[in-house]
Amino acid sequence: MGGRYLARKMLQAIITIAFIVLLNFLLFRLMPGSPDRVLARNLPLDVRQVLLERWGLDRPVFPDQFVAYVGATLQGDLGDSFKFQGVSVVDVLAGRIWPTLLLFGLGEVLAIIIGLGLGAYSGWKRGGPVDYVGNGISLILYSMPYFVIGMILLMVLSGGLGWFPTSGMLEMGATYSSFVDQLLDFLAHLALPLTTVAIGLIGQYSILMRASIIETLGEDYVTTARAKGLTEGYILRRHALPNAMLPAVTLVAINLGYVIAGAITVELVFGWPGLGTLTVEALNSRDYPVLQGVFLLLSISVVLANFAADLLYGFLDPRVRS
Amino acid sequence: MTTASVAPANPRHERVRMQSTRDFAGRFARRPDAVIGLAILAVFSLLALVPSLLVGPLETATTASGSALAGPSAVHVLGTDDLGRDILNLTVHGTRISMLIGLLATLVTIVIGTSSGIIAGYVGGAVDSILMRITDFFLVLPTFVLALILAPIVLDLIGSDALVFGIRANLFVTVIVIGVTSWASTARIIRAQALSVRERMFVDRARVIGGSRAHIMRRHILPNVINLIVANTVLTFAGAVLTETTLAFVGLGDPFDPSWGQILNAAESRGAPGLGAWWFFAPPAACVVLVVLAFTLVGGALDDVLNPRARLRR
Repeated sequence: MGGRYLARKMLQAIITIAFIVLLNFLLFRLMPGSPDRVLARNLPLDVRQVLLERWGLDRPVFPDQFVAYVGATLQGDLGDSFKFQGVSVVDVLAGRIWPTLLLFGLGEVLAIIIGLGLGAYSGWKRGGPVDYVGNGISLILYSMPYFVIGMILLMVLSGGLGWFPTSGMLEMGATYSSFVDQLLDFLAHLALPLTTVAIGLIGQYSILMRASIIETLGEDYVTTARAKGLTEGYILRRHALPNAMLPAVTLVAINLGYVIAGAITVELVFGWPGLGTLTVEALNSRDYPVLQGVFLLLSISVVLANFAADLLYGFLDPRVRS
Repeated sequence: MTTASVAPANPRHERVRMQSTRDFAGRFARRPDAVIGLAILAVFSLLALVPSLLVGPLETATTASGSALAGPSAVHVLGTDDLGRDILNLTVHGTRISMLIGLLATLVTIVIGTSSGIIAGYVGGAVDSILMRITDFFLVLPTFVLALILAPIVLDLIGSDALVFGIRANLFVTVIVIGVTSWASTARIIRAQALSVRERMFVDRARVIGGSRAHIMRRHILPNVINLIVANTVLTFAGAVLTETTLAFVGLGDPFDPSWGQILNAAESRGAPGLGAWWFFAPPAACVVLVVLAFTLVGGALDDVLNPRARLRR
């Protein structure tokens, strides 16, 4: 891969992350719970002055406070949670990151396989029964907030039929005789949220892939391949699919930002103890340091995912490297 | 665009314009998806305009007409919520809030997106690079998470009981937050078109006879990107309704002016899905899906009809 392409993409990612840190700092100064505002309440002036000095809040916002903030952020110090007194934001986040990563990692993988496959097939057999039904269902799913899918699944499969537990990641207070038991309980809890995430994403991915494959099938090189007498299956596999995958890679990465919005609500519906429920808890108790930590973590993850997609794109498509 | 500056109508131009409007309407009306979408939107616009005529005034905890969490019956066709309020009543009144916030947020988005897109595309140079860096930043950013942090901050700063332009602060904040976080893709689309329009002969002519930048952008660039704006606006509206619903669902709605998302939030926090109380969340959810679907259908059809490149693809 071209070194200049790599360097340019890396520079872009670094600049974006720098912007995010700056924005986070500005929000920190703006927010109602900013340190000096909290201090301004109910404290004698002299005590307040001492505290301001200790925390460096008597120094100018720029550059002194900004430098201190960036330094602390780089060292992984995001401050302490308001709600969980004495627990650092990093520790709060660390406790919640794995459930989310697991749920959405698996959900993405499922949705990419099924959604892209369905979309490619519908686009290839445009106007066929699979396309007709699939496209209709995809459009409806596309218009449906994730949490609505979750609420329906929860009501039918969990509340009504009682096949799955309603909430959480493991049965509350349960003791397990073996690791297998624990794993089974975990999988039972995972099933519905995972299905919700996958269904929500399949609609988007299949619409996207369908459009992409239809566009590709209209290209001149596909006509050439047909003129050469190649079979339809061969054209699809060797000519259309590889090229149709390109926009799909980018769009999956761009989509990640929206997926996070869905993630938060799905976790809320199923009481899944991940970053989404943490965000809503922090929102309700106005735990700003945790909210900012979530913002920093999620936005940097999205930037890095986009960077990875750019690299993948450069690897898949030699044209963009020049 | 003041009426005074409009040139006297040239009958020939007028005929051409009428003809192209008829062409457009004809192509649009032949598409079943567009017609279905428009019909759905017409129904919801009616609900939003005159909710009280259809279902009476909004029921509150004190004027609730039924018993708590009762299923559908002859009196309460869609059942009641945990406070005994009629769900049909809440859902119909929610239409106005959801559609109004969607509309205002869309306007904010389109105004920010269009003006920065036109300025970046026409002025070019350093202005363009700065604007596009900001746009890229907002494109990459998970804007929903930003909205989640911005909303409570702005709300706490202006006070949640305040009225802004006669709208309750909660709703106003939602409008601003959606607008500020979702303009970037509009700006990209408009910039690309503005770049190509800038190179056309009539823009050169306007410049040569001394038209100012602001005049050229308003009178020559804007009318030529309006096709894109129309389709984009409709699709943005769908996104705005979804975002509002999601924001209200996670607890940033206004309990006194319930939107569909707010009703869904209430249903979720009372555990309606687990209790099998489908009537509590199915009506508002169905409304959200129908409206978003309708906007998506109409937006897609508009895009196909107005955008010549998309038309060639079919």
